[in-house]
Amino acid sequence: MSMGTVWALLGAALSALLAGAGSAIGVGKAGQAAAGVVTEDPSLFSKVLILQLLPGTQGIYGLLIAFITLTNIGIMGGSADMSLHKGLLYFAACLPMAVVGLISAICQANAAVSAIGLVAKKPDQFGKAMIFPAMVETYAILALLVSILSIFGVSALA
Amino acid sequence: MAVMPMKRMTLIAMRRDRKELLQFLQRQGTTEIDTDVADDGIYKKIDVSSQKQIFLKNIKQAEDALDILNKVAPEKKSLLSSLAGREIISLKDFEKDLGRRNEIMSVISKINSLYKENLELIAQIPKDEMDREALVPWEGFDLPLDFSGTEKTKAFIGTLPGDLSAEDIYLTLGMLFKEADRVDVEIISKSNQYTAVMFVTGNENAEELNDVLHRMNFTKAPSQAVTDSDGTSLTPAKAIERIDAETARKAARRKQIISDITDLAADRHDIELIRDYFTMRKDKYDVIGSINQSDHVVIITGYVAAEDVPKLEAALNNRFDLACDFSEPSDDEDVPVKLKNNAFASPVEGVIASYSLPGKGEVDPSMAVAVFYYFFFGLMLSDAAYGIIIAVACGILLKKFKNMETGLKKTLQMFFYCGVATTIVGFIFGSFFGDVVSSVAQTFFHVPEATANKLLPPIWFNPLDDPIKMLTFCFAVGLIHLFTGLGILMYQDIKNGHVLDAIYDGLFWYMFVGGCVLLLLCLPMITGMLGLSFTLGPTVKNVSICIALIGFAGVVLFSGRESRNWGKRLAKGLYGAYGITSYLSDVLSYSRLLALGLATSVISSVFNTMAGMVGGAVPVVIGVVLYAVIFIIGHILNMAINALGAYVHTNRLQYVEFFGKFYNGGGRPFEAFDQKTKYIRIKEDI
Repeated sequence: MSMGTVWALLGAALSALLAGAGSAIGVGKAGQAAAGVVTEDPSLFSKVLILQLLPGTQGIYGLLIAFITLTNIGIMGGSADMSLHKGLLYFAACLPMAVVGLISAICQANAAVSAIGLVAKKPDQFGKAMIFPAMVETYAILALLVSILSIFGVSALA
Repeated sequence: MAVMPMKRMTLIAMRRDRKELLQFLQRQGTTEIDTDVADDGIYKKIDVSSQKQIFLKNIKQAEDALDILNKVAPEKKSLLSSLAGREIISLKDFEKDLGRRNEIMSVISKINSLYKENLELIAQIPKDEMDREALVPWEGFDLPLDFSGTEKTKAFIGTLPGDLSAEDIYLTLGMLFKEADRVDVEIISKSNQYTAVMFVTGNENAEELNDVLHRMNFTKAPSQAVTDSDGTSLTPAKAIERIDAETARKAARRKQIISDITDLAADRHDIELIRDYFTMRKDKYDVIGSINQSDHVVIITGYVAAEDVPKLEAALNNRFDLACDFSEPSDDEDVPVKLKNNAFASPVEGVIASYSLPGKGEVDPSMAVAVFYYFFFGLMLSDAAYGIIIAVACGILLKKFKNMETGLKKTLQMFFYCGVATTIVGFIFGSFFGDVVSSVAQTFFHVPEATANKLLPPIWFNPLDDPIKMLTFCFAVGLIHLFTGLGILMYQDIKNGHVLDAIYDGLFWYMFVGGCVLLLLCLPMITGMLGLSFTLGPTVKNVSICIALIGFAGVVLFSGRESRNWGKRLAKGLYGAYGITSYLSDVLSYSRLLALGLATSVISSVFNTMAGMVGGAVPVVIGVVLYAVIFIIGHILNMAINALGAYVHTNRLQYVEFFGKFYNGGGRPFEAFDQKTKYIRIKEDI
């Protein structure tokens, strides 16, 4: 077992950990707002549920990055031996998803809470309400993309 | 693919026909009624608020009765019954059912009054319980509690705080009262909180004893609710008996009420009908109150779709004595918008309506939106199995509930097409429950990994193997999407006669952006980055530079053309050309197609790997079961979360990137004067 594996695993863990924590905070926040709306009008349940789930995707992306890192570094079967240099590369590759996942989930939750308020007052504006939190998610998706491409790139290196 | 052309309708009819006429229009549901004819002394509006009040009251009563029925005798409904839509009923049956109107109204008021009685009985329960509670300490006492003494004696019946014996009471009494020995104390019952006592003394000592007892915190026994109907007092035991009997009677009555209401539930259908009947009458009176009427004539104006005109005109002339006129609306009118599309494009009308309907001069983008919507959804969910599940589920529901309400039907149709697209995309990129075929083959049939991966080969390529290729493909798709938007903008301008605008805002941008893209493809660095196998040659490079420069010049010169001052105009033009960066960010935004597509397949394979690790570690029989459990839970979760993501981000790509290029919206939706009912829909053929 080498130091490289330690760094790579640290990156994988961070991406699941930070993005997951951000999503948990975000979904919790939005859930409170959603529950408040449903006490007033239970028929809005399915709409506010969708809005509540929007900040939850970062956690999934974090898991995804963690998983492809784990398979690539051989933690899940195979030999887990790599240079410090390569381990640090994996670590860096995981960072965008970890950090952006955490921050964007929380920011997206703020937008989702406001969107839930919008739907409570004007249920027919659901389509627009959904777009505001989705705008925030763009940056999580970009981070996801960079992380994925980096990991694939790093694993292709010798 | 069209916004339906509208005609301005003016009906001049006999006043005596107005109700029939409006009912007819309401059942047809093809007109929007608005009235702006001036109040000029001959024609005036009439006040219908009192009739409306009655209808609203009746609606409220019917709804209350239905609420009660739902509480007391809930209808057995399957989970999917909400998809069934309103019951369709012929005009003849409707009128026949309305013959029982008065009868049904009396059923409604009976249900309401029975339930009110039930609530009143429930409200009495706590009081009865308290009365009984207060009598319990006195249960063994053989005199009525309002017994006040004989001719020569006075009796005080009540409780003292605390658990006291006769000695304790005499002791306290002796300290406070000189003639304590002339008082008779009888303890009736006690608990650790109180002692129930009767004091008897001669009339001469009564007043003083009263004061003394007051100082000992004596509380008189409750004497209410203990007299019989003829005024004679009852002993506590008898009184308790009577309260119990009364409680039992009330409980029986409540049971009776509930069963009576349950019996009346047979009329539920008729009550629903009545509710809808009054709703329609209320809507009709809203219109009656808004139109102009003279002593003999009414004028009704509004909009109707041009294609509905011939049928409507013929039917109106057939049934009523009236004059009708259908004319082109004038240019400054705020004409309502109604969309009409073929079966492929109409499901996304809801997506467009929830952004905004096309404004003046804009075309209906449904067809373009539909094509890209289904395709993007498919790319983002990108799993053949998930697509099949969605398409089959929507297909079955659509087949089973033919009478579904339009909005819901369109949504399900939309997901049906999305499911079909997902299936196709899934096979193209080789994803069926992720890599389940390979995973099962390796776990249970011990096929070597390399062979297993070839069992279900992708038709094109697997994005997991070559994400860069997929990314390039997504950018290309995005560019096509954006250019389609630009194309619609040009079409719109040409259609409205602004050919020059089409060139300035459309063609120059095509040249500018298209030239830049071609130029990029000539640079080996870029083609290398995008993983393309070709690099365009120097000839193309020179041509593309020319095209881009012409486009750039056009944009700089003409995007600020509303300014007269040339300095200002050029400054605005340069700023306009800076908009090329928005094309860059728009195109990059389509990388979400790749990211979300990868998310689905990677998470699928996470679950398949987990299932394979668990299922492969134990004997085959148990292994299959464990594999199935992990597989089902994992894929349900993955499908739900990724379908949500695909839906949200498909909308976003349409609303932000696509509509941003050409679409403003702002059209006013066509508000038909129709049956805004909840349970039934009257069908009348003309």
